[in-house]
Amino acid sequence: MNKTILAACCLLLAANAPAFAGDPAEGQKKSQACAACHGADGNSAIPDNPRLAGQHYDYLLKALKDYRSGERKSPIMGPMVANLTQRDIEDLAAYFSSQKGLVLKH
Amino acid sequence: MGNFRYNRRRQVHDNNESTTMKISTMIPVAVAFGLTVASLPLHAAETGDAAAGQGKTSMCIGCHGIGGYKTAFPEVYHVPKLGGQHAAYIVKALQEYKAGNRSHPSMRAIAASLSDKDMADLAAYYAADAVKSAAK
Repeated sequence: MNKTILAACCLLLAANAPAFAGDPAEGQKKSQACAACHGADGNSAIPDNPRLAGQHYDYLLKALKDYRSGERKSPIMGPMVANLTQRDIEDLAAYFSSQKGLVLKH
Repeated sequence: MGNFRYNRRRQVHDNNESTTMKISTMIPVAVAFGLTVASLPLHAAETGDAAAGQGKTSMCIGCHGIGGYKTAFPEVYHVPKLGGQHAAYIVKALQEYKAGNRSHPSMRAIAASLSDKDMADLAAYYAADAVKSAAK
């Protein structure tokens, strides 16, 4: 019984651990193409373009992957991410998610 | 006579050149015009009221108001933070969900129930205090 609880706790911990595969420093180097529209640190000054700073890592990952696969359609973002590798996407998501900006709002 | 011919040729040449010039200047003008039109907000008519928006968040807070909340379906990831996000972008996202151009089962259903005014109010609420939010 105790072992089951322990196993369940371990699973929960593992599930909640941030799957942080990207390298923020590498992401910053790769973010120059993003800066014109999203701001250098992801705090975009253009209202139509979302702020990325402080956004969740895995949400940014999903957004970039969906643009790349065409699941999410954008005439601007589609071509921007078309040639990104999985590693590029992880690095970019790591960089922008580590910047200060967006917050949880109730 | 010879001079006349020469001048006439010059004139035709000059005319051709000026026509070419016109077309080449027209392209950037047309592009600039297209960009201006494309960047105009689609739903400019609605002005968001942050206070009214706060009263409409009941369908948002179950996911977007809980720290670390993750989606369960169809993929698992943290739902995006909205605090400090640009109002124009939030409205755009909601309109895309409503129109079916952006797919997420829950967001599509919720956005479908929102009017343009609701979207503007919610966007104003979440976008408010962006500067304070940026300071974290």
